[in-house]
Formats: sequence, C-alpha cells, structure tokens
Amino acid sequence: MTSNNIPIGPYHPLLEEAEYFNLVVDGETVVDIDMDVGWMHRGHEFISEQKTFTQSIYLVERICGICSTSHPIACVHAFEDVDNTEVPERAAYIRTLIGELERIHSHLLWLGLAGHFIGYDTVWMWAWKYREPVLQMFEIISGNRNHYGMMRVGGVAKDVDPDSIPELMKNLDMIDKKMAMIAKVAKDDPVLRSRLKNVGVLTQQDAIDYCAVGPTARASDVYTDVRKDEPIDAYPWIDFDEIVLPNGDVYDKLVVRVLETIESTKICRQCLEKLKTVKGPILNNVKEISAGEGLGRYEAPRGEVFHFVKTDGSNRPVRHKVRAPSYVNIPTFTASCKGIPVADALITLASVDPCYCCTERSFKIVDKNHDPYQLDLLKLSQQKTEQIRREIHAD
Amino acid sequence: MANEHDFFKVMKEQVSEIIEKKYRYYFVVDDKDLHDVVSYLFRNMGCRLSTATATENYGSIEVLYHFSHDKTGTYYCPRILMADKENPQMNSITPIIKGAEWIEREMFEMYGIDFKGHPRKEPLLTKDNPTVRKQPLRVRRVS
Repeated sequence: MTSNNIPIGPYHPLLEEAEYFNLVVDGETVVDIDMDVGWMHRGHEFISEQKTFTQSIYLVERICGICSTSHPIACVHAFEDVDNTEVPERAAYIRTLIGELERIHSHLLWLGLAGHFIGYDTVWMWAWKYREPVLQMFEIISGNRNHYGMMRVGGVAKDVDPDSIPELMKNLDMIDKKMAMIAKVAKDDPVLRSRLKNVGVLTQQDAIDYCAVGPTARASDVYTDVRKDEPIDAYPWIDFDEIVLPNGDVYDKLVVRVLETIESTKICRQCLEKLKTVKGPILNNVKEISAGEGLGRYEAPRGEVFHFVKTDGSNRPVRHKVRAPSYVNIPTFTASCKGIPVADALITLASVDPCYCCTERSFKIVDKNHDPYQLDLLKLSQQKTEQIRREIHAD
Repeated sequence: MANEHDFFKVMKEQVSEIIEKKYRYYFVVDDKDLHDVVSYLFRNMGCRLSTATATENYGSIEVLYHFSHDKTGTYYCPRILMADKENPQMNSITPIIKGAEWIEREMFEMYGIDFKGHPRKEPLLTKDNPTVRKQPLRVRRVS
C-alpha cells in the first residue's frame, strides 16, 4: 500500500490562523502528521515593546478576534504583577463577567462549527443563533460586539450600567435553557456519540507531556484551570466547578465545553448579582510601573493565555512575551491524529478549537509523484456521519 | 509529590540568585544543572511548562523557562544566562518535555540560541521561507 500526503492549509476554513498540516496517510489511516506555522506571524511581541503600557493592551486585544479579552486580561495581570497592584472589587467582578461571557460565545462558536464539520448543520445554526444574544450582551456592557476595550492596568475602563442588569439576566436565562437542551442532545443522540466517541484520543500522559491546556487537557483527565489554580479578579469569591472528563476523545472535548458554558452562565449570574450591591471605583490610579518582571495569565476559552513582561521603570515594556493556548495545544495532534481514519482527521484537528475564519478552504492530495488528486475532507467527514446515522436507524 | 520547600532544599546547590515574589520564584541555574532542575520540576513536582522567554540583555542572552505548579498556582522560573552573545549555546529540555519543542525552535530562530540535543533544530516560523536570511531575527548584539 502506498502512503500519500494530504496537505491541509495554509488557508483552510477549519483554521482561523493560517496553518499548514501535512497528513501522511496509508490507505484510510493517518500514520503521521507534520505542522508548519508562521503564516500569520505579525511580530506582536516586538511591536508591543515599542508601545506604552496602555497601547500594549490595545495591541494584544487584536491578537485574536475570538478571545479578544483573554489577552488583555492576561496582559494587565502581567503589568499588575510587577508591583502587585490591587484591583477594586467592582472592577474584578466586571473583568470576570466579560471573561466568562467570552467563554460562552467562543464555546458556542466552536460547537456550531464542530456540528458543521460532522454534517450536523442544525447544531451549527442553532449554536450560532444562541451566540448572538451573547454578542448583544457585550454591546450593552461595553458598546462593542467584539474588541471590548475594557481592560486597564488597575481596573476596567467602563462600568456596568445597573439598569441593564435585568436584561443581561434575561439573556443568561435563555442561554441556560438552550445549553441544557444541547447538553441533553450530546448525551442522548446515538449518532453524535458513535461519531465522536473514541475518536482522536489524547491520553492523559500525552496531554501532560505536550503541556496541553484548557478543555483539550481537561477532557484528558488533567486538572488544569487557571481560574482554580491561581484565582485572581473575582474568582476567589465565585462558586463554580472545574469540568474534567476522563477519555480524551473528541466527544469528551465537546461535553467539557458544553458543561463549561453552563458553569460560565453560573459565574456571570453571580457577578451580576454582586454588581447590584458592590459599589466603588472601577479603576485604581496607576501612575507608573517600576522596573521588574511580571507574569500574568488567564483561562481563555481554549486554555491558559500567558503573558510575561520585563520592565525598566520607563513607560513601556522592554520585553513582552505572549503565548496563546493554541501554541501548546496544536502539537498534541502528533499524538491524537496518528492511527485514526482520514474521515476523522477533520474533527480531530478541530477538537482543540484552533481559531477559525471564513476563508475559502484549500487543500489537495498529492501522491508520491506530486500528481494532484482532489478529495474533500469535509465531505468525507459528513459522509461518515451519514453512514453511521443510516446504520443506527436501520437497527 | 514534592512541594516548593523540597525543591529549594533538594536543589540548593543548583539554584542561585533567587527572587521571591507572591506565587513566583525566579532563580538562576547553570546550564550543566538545567536537566536536573527541569526533571525535578516536571517529573517530581508535576509542574507544567507554560513557555520560555528569551531576552537580549546588555551583557548576555538569557532564557527564562516558566513552570507552572498548578496545584499551588506557583510559578518556578529557571533562568539561564549565556555570556557569549555571538554563539549562545545551552542544553535543550525537549528530550525531557515534548512540549518545549516549539518554543525552543522559536528561540533558536529569533535569538540564534543553539539548543544542544534538540531533536529538530530548524526554524519554527520561517522554516520554508525563501526570502528570510538565515540569521537570528531579533537579536541586536548590544554589548
């Protein structure tokens, strides 16, 4: 049997960042995978070192369009870590509220796309329908649907209007009901289970070896959640559960995200209740950041976002290191993709939630002579779901 | 599993210049002791490697690894200093931690650090880019 290479990317609808995956397949089975990054390198670290601290926050907000508040939160944590700057209580609740709303919209976005990749377009349309009210909540709070511009060193830029809290609560109630329905579907639907169970398994040891973070690690029985490990902002005062599942397959990654979304609505509700009663300033007046090193992180929807800054007492960082969660989650494909059928590769690559965009998909299969052979991975994946559906219904 | 007090007791010969902050420890490690320190952090204490930061200082190039001890929320940051800025060399930790492969490749690409024992010594971001000159992209060699 001959082995072929299947290049995915560098521009592909599966990936928000342009990245290149080379699957080596033997017949129907993936035997090896190689990754090539750097297509989207924009030099954010270097640019940040030319900017003032406040400008850096503005800059890092634009690293990612989906987790656009996780980077600023980790960044201000790093700046605050240099001098152990305190944040007012009201600002801490607002930060946590924004961060958790982002988790809800990001997980719903992933859920929709995961549904689409396996041929469940109803899931796609419904998940994105329920995501829309979350974006409206952002607009109510910050005036923006994306890039909220809320984070500042020592607090937040905007307060939450108390009159808007009932409407925000109403939206959360709606999301709760819909997420309960989606959780039930994930549990009961035999096609979904058959299609995702034991697919793309990342073992606990592999998750530890590759230093995986976020839902990718938590679905492999690894307890790692910045909100629990190093609770900052309002997390020490909030009651929520860390969702950890044992199997490491795509199904568990889906369930982790669905259950986490329900936990996030719980957190948002507690924050909004507190914002009714906790008064006071939302921003401490930080005039300067002294020379030193600061390290900040936040649990983004995809896992730990890490920022490190080195300062010299001037108004800008002399070194700013940024590490997004996909940077450590993508190399886990080396472990999770080997030995799986090609039809499952698409959903396995999507299962760590590497950012998405709406660019045109582009890939081709070449044999050893580099002759092109067109094959649609998306169709393959959807056909497999359809086949499972037929088999289950025939029984 | 070992804790932070054990770490500084066991590794007292290997670490120096300890800077202690709330939930953060920064300390200097000699290159020859790096594998011992990293093995202890990763295998004995169950730390997770978040990432590493390379920086060009006036007198040296430094690499700062960031190990997160998730059970206590504490960071352990071993610092390696390389005085030879023209040919910085140090041991790779990728043979111990697979998750260090990408970041060490990136530091090699940006700062020209030769990680001895790295299984895949090639640039991460500009691997097949024909227009990029094969030299460290960020280092200015200020001395």
